[in-house]
Amino acid sequence: MLIGIKDIAKLFAISVVTCCAAFVCTLFLNYNIDIVGIKDEITTPQGMVMYDAQVATGKVVAGIAGGCLVATTIVLLIFYVKNYIDSHGKELGILKALGYSDLSVAKHFWVFGVSVFAGAVIGYAAAALYMPTFYDIQNNMELFPQMKPEFHVSLVLYIIAFPTVFFMLLAVLYAFFKIKSPVLGLLRETQNVKFKVSKSDKGDFPFLTDLKKSTLKSRKILVFFVGFSAFCFSAMTQMSMSMDELASEAMSFMIISIGLILAFMTLFMSLTSVVKSNTKTIAMMKVFGYSQRECSGSILGGYRPISYVGFVIGTAYQYLLLRIMVDVVFADFENMPEFHFNFEALAISAVTFLAAYEMILYCYSKKISGQSVKSIMLE
Amino acid sequence: MIEAKEITKFYGKGESRFQVLKNISIKINDGDFTVILGASGSGKSTLLNTLSSLERPDSGSIFYDERDITTFSESELTKLRRDNIGFIFQQYYLLPNMNVDKNVKMGADLSGNKNYRSVIEAVGLGGKLRKYPSELSGGEQQRVSVARALAKNPKVLFLDEPTGALDEETGRQVLDYICALQNEYGFTIVMVTHNLNIAEMADTVIKMNSGKISEIYANETRKTAYEIGW
Repeated sequence: MLIGIKDIAKLFAISVVTCCAAFVCTLFLNYNIDIVGIKDEITTPQGMVMYDAQVATGKVVAGIAGGCLVATTIVLLIFYVKNYIDSHGKELGILKALGYSDLSVAKHFWVFGVSVFAGAVIGYAAAALYMPTFYDIQNNMELFPQMKPEFHVSLVLYIIAFPTVFFMLLAVLYAFFKIKSPVLGLLRETQNVKFKVSKSDKGDFPFLTDLKKSTLKSRKILVFFVGFSAFCFSAMTQMSMSMDELASEAMSFMIISIGLILAFMTLFMSLTSVVKSNTKTIAMMKVFGYSQRECSGSILGGYRPISYVGFVIGTAYQYLLLRIMVDVVFADFENMPEFHFNFEALAISAVTFLAAYEMILYCYSKKISGQSVKSIMLE
Repeated sequence: MIEAKEITKFYGKGESRFQVLKNISIKINDGDFTVILGASGSGKSTLLNTLSSLERPDSGSIFYDERDITTFSESELTKLRRDNIGFIFQQYYLLPNMNVDKNVKMGADLSGNKNYRSVIEAVGLGGKLRKYPSELSGGEQQRVSVARALAKNPKVLFLDEPTGALDEETGRQVLDYICALQNEYGFTIVMVTHNLNIAEMADTVIKMNSGKISEIYANETRKTAYEIGW
C-alpha cells in the first residue's frame, strides 16, 4: 500500500474536527427534525414564537458551527494531502517514472477520507448518547410538548456517509492534480519553491527578519491555522461565558469544549509542522552559530502577531454573532435578557490565551533547542 | 591553532557499538590549508565534525588557542562557531526559500559584515543576487555556500567534500575561489576529501584509515586547482 497506517494516524486532527462537526450537527438537526413533528401541537402565539426561534437557532448553530468545521476539515485535508505529496515526492516520482498513471497513484489517497469517517462516526455516536440529556434539558424548560429523540436515517447519510464519500473524492482529486507535475519535479522536490519576487526580497533587512518573513510566506496555510486557532479560542471561550443568561449550561460547556479542542488541536498541528518543515534551516543556523533564542525567535516568532489578530477577530465575531442572535433571531421573544459586550469574559479569555499560547511556544522553542545539528548530515 | 589530543569517538550501542575515531592527535596551524584524506568510512568526516564542534568526542581534548572546547557548554560552542568557524558541505544546504543575497546574509549578519556583497562578487555571482537556490546550477549553489561561509569572516573554514557533487570544471572553479579568498583573507582551511589529487593543493595532508591516522605529511609546494589531476 502506498499510504501506511502511520500516515493515516497523523490525520488525528481531521478526525477531531469532524467529530466536533458531527456532534453539533447531529444534536441540533435531530432536535430540529423532531420539533417539526410537534409543530401542530403548539397552540399559543408565544409557543409559536419560541418554536420559530428554536428552529432558527438549530439552523444557525448547525450551519455556522457545522459549516466552519467542515470548511476547516477541507483545509486540513488538503494540507495533509499536500504535505504527504511534498514529503514523499521522490517515492511518487519513482512510481510515475516506472509507468504508473497519475490516477492509479492518486486513487490510493482515498484512505485520507477514513479519518473523516472515523471522526463522523464518533461524533454521531457521542451525540446519540448525549441526546436524551439534551432533550431532557429542553423538556424541563416546558416550552413545548414533551419530546423524545427519534432516529433519522437521513442524518446518518448526511452526517456520516456523504461527508466520507465527499472527502475521499476530494483527497483523490486534489492528489491527482498535485501529482500531475513532471516526474523530475517530484524527484527533485522542486515543485514547492516559488520564485515570486516580493517587496521584502528587495529590502535590506537583517537576516533574522527576512527569515521570519520567509517562514510565514513559505507556508501560508500554517498562518491561517495559527490565526484560526486563536480565533477559535477567543470566540468560543468568550461566547461560552457570555451565554450564561442566553442559553443552558450544557450549551456553554459544549461550545467551550469544542472551542478548546479545535484551538489546541490546530495550534499543535501547525507548530509541529512549522518546526518539522524548518528542521534543516534550524540545523544550519545552529551550525553557523545562531543562538537558540535567535533560532526559535525567527522560526516561531512571526506567528505571535498572527495569533493576536486571530484573537481580536474571534472577539468581534462572537460579539456580532450573539448580537445577531439576540436582535434578529430572538427579536420577538419577550423574556429575552439584555445582552452587552462581556469585558470580564474578554479579560479572562485574553489572560488565559496569553499564558497558554506563550507556554506552548516555549515548549516548541525547547524542542528546537533539542534538535541536533547533525540532523542535516543524516540524510 | 587547533590541537586535538587523543580523541576517540564511538557510534552505536551494545553489540553494534563501534569506534570511529581511535586516539587521534593532530595540530593545525593558523593560516594552513589542511586536507583530511581517506576512503569512505575511514572516519574523516567524523574527525572534521569533532574538530569543528558539531560533535563532541567521547574522550580526549580539542584546543582552540589553548582553550579546551570539550569542556564548553552548548551555548559556548555556539558562540565559538559564531565567532570563528565557517562551514561548507557537499550538499550545500542553502535555505530554499531565500535568494542568493539572503543566503549569504545568513553568514554576514553574524559578524556584522556589511560588505558581504563583495564576497558574492568574488565568487562570480554578482549578477544572481535575486536567484533562488533551485534556479542555480550545482556549481553556483556551492559558490553561494562558499560566499555564505566566508561572509562571516571565519578564522577557520571547514569543508566536507565540497566538490563531491560537482563536475570537474565546476569543482576546479570552486576550489580556485576558495584558495584565492584564503590568500586574500588568510583564514585556516580544514578540508575533508577522498580525492588524492585535491590533497596536492594543501600545506598538510592527514591520511586516515579505519579511524586512525595512517600518515601526516607536508607538501613542498601547493598546487593550484588547475594544476592538479582530477
